[in-house]
Amino acid sequence: MKFPKLSAPTLLLLPAIIVLAAVIVLPLLFSLYSSFTPFRLTKPESIWVFIGVRNYVSVLTNYEFWAAFGRTVLLLTIALNAEMFLGLGLAMLVNKATRGQRILRTLMMFPMMFSPVLVGFQFKFLFNDNIGFVNNALQSLGLTTNAIPWLIDGNLALFSIIIAEVWSSTSVFAILILAGLLAMPQEPVEAARVDGCTPWQTFRYVTWPYLMPFAFIAMTIRSLDVARAYDIVKIMTDGGPAKRTELLWTLVGRTAYSDARMGLANAMAYISILLSILFTVYFFRKLAAARQQIGAEW
Amino acid sequence: MDKNSSHRLKRRWLKVAHFIGLFLAMLVICLPGLWIVLSSLRPTVEIMAKPPVWIPRDISLDAYRAMFGGAGQGGIPVWEYFRNSLIISITSTIIALIVGMAGGYAFARYKFKGKSGVFLGFMLTRAVPGIALSLPLFMIFARVGIIDTHFAMILIYVALNVPFTIWLIDGFFRQVPKDLAEAAQIDGCTRWQAFWQVEFPLAAPGIASAGIFAFLTSWNEYALASQITRSVNSKTLPVGLLDYTSEFTIDWRGMCALAVVMIIPALTLTFIIQKHLVSGLTFGAVKG
Repeated sequence: MKFPKLSAPTLLLLPAIIVLAAVIVLPLLFSLYSSFTPFRLTKPESIWVFIGVRNYVSVLTNYEFWAAFGRTVLLLTIALNAEMFLGLGLAMLVNKATRGQRILRTLMMFPMMFSPVLVGFQFKFLFNDNIGFVNNALQSLGLTTNAIPWLIDGNLALFSIIIAEVWSSTSVFAILILAGLLAMPQEPVEAARVDGCTPWQTFRYVTWPYLMPFAFIAMTIRSLDVARAYDIVKIMTDGGPAKRTELLWTLVGRTAYSDARMGLANAMAYISILLSILFTVYFFRKLAAARQQIGAEW
Repeated sequence: MDKNSSHRLKRRWLKVAHFIGLFLAMLVICLPGLWIVLSSLRPTVEIMAKPPVWIPRDISLDAYRAMFGGAGQGGIPVWEYFRNSLIISITSTIIALIVGMAGGYAFARYKFKGKSGVFLGFMLTRAVPGIALSLPLFMIFARVGIIDTHFAMILIYVALNVPFTIWLIDGFFRQVPKDLAEAAQIDGCTRWQAFWQVEFPLAAPGIASAGIFAFLTSWNEYALASQITRSVNSKTLPVGLLDYTSEFTIDWRGMCALAVVMIIPALTLTFIIQKHLVSGLTFGAVKG
């Protein structure tokens, strides 16, 4: 080996570190500073006033913030579990298909090609109470006579948003789990079958442990993508009706841009980022454990 | 004999169930998109009709003609948005892949101090949503004077994509056994040659899929683009899509047409790259 052991990885990682420092870490330090000021977009000089943790105190004692927090966690939990379950099923179905796998795989990735903005508009269109596909179909099939206010009723609106989220992101799970299925050696499965395992046992004790790292990768990616919910929610309901679908990031966006209270919004953002980081660390540790379990080197 | 035939029956039943399951799943996945395509071809009267018109009577390309024809007079400069999106997404994907390959290789093949920490640090940068990043970035870029340029957007998207590409590529290099590269080196390859001729081809499907993810992220990103892009110079399609609704009341047909225009390149690219996704991982040295 030509390079001394320590310098090679440093050299390889340097470009990534430089880019991330310039575009993400430095701006973040800047916004961290501004979260300790009463900074408003309309008053640029307010960036120089230091008010300590007052922003954080007012965020943490704010009922609206905690309501949005709870709703975000609820959305995240339901959506991630549904996506995980459906994605696994979809990957297994596609993997089992003997013909047309390539077409199926392309179709499977279809929702991922939709930007969140598009998903939002699409479901706003489909769930429209007057001209939407869903209501039209229900009425034509005679299941209901009146128009269901999908996006106007508070509980239904959150449900509609979850549907949109699940539709758009199940394929992330499916693709990654399918990649795991394709990369998985076949011998253990065959061995398990020869040894008399039922299909369920084979899946539970042989296939699943192999897929777990891939599932956790998908989990981590998705849990960090709660921000995606911003675009979708923004377009479908804009936090309405009566703030019944307000999530953390729409609240941050509203505080920052509509109310122009940037300092407060940054404080809110930092608390929300902390939440995301907790999720990441949690799934990251699960990932490491799962990798260890299948004997991969860490 | 009886056992045989019941087994055969069960098999056939499973096959039918599998087919139905697959069909239903694909229907749910495709129907919303097909509905959008169909709606873009129908006149507004038919979309709004009550009771609904299920079988389209009047199919035309008017929406597309209006979109690409009427630039300047209230129309949206779709061509420019399209070009911006393409330049920004492709360039940032390529750079992110190069940076990501270097980083992923370092994580997969070298042991060094604080590896876990650095890796976790990279991932944490992804915890920052676009909305939180948008304002400080806007102020800094405005100071530097690169607001509303392709360069700014490419820089942002490279940074957004690098952690994820590193993560994916690390995983795929990890699946290529170390012994292969070592064997190649014993046979007289340099480490550089061993990488390009042995490890890279085996990891290529993974790298391709990382590329797809990176491209789609850049192509679809909205929160940051809506702040950093200001004009025709660098506005991307997702931002342009919102132009559409602010200038008129929601014109469903026009929206649908632009949505179709946004989907086509993503669809094509995914389809081209996909070939590589299938081939490499399943056969060859990894298995044998």
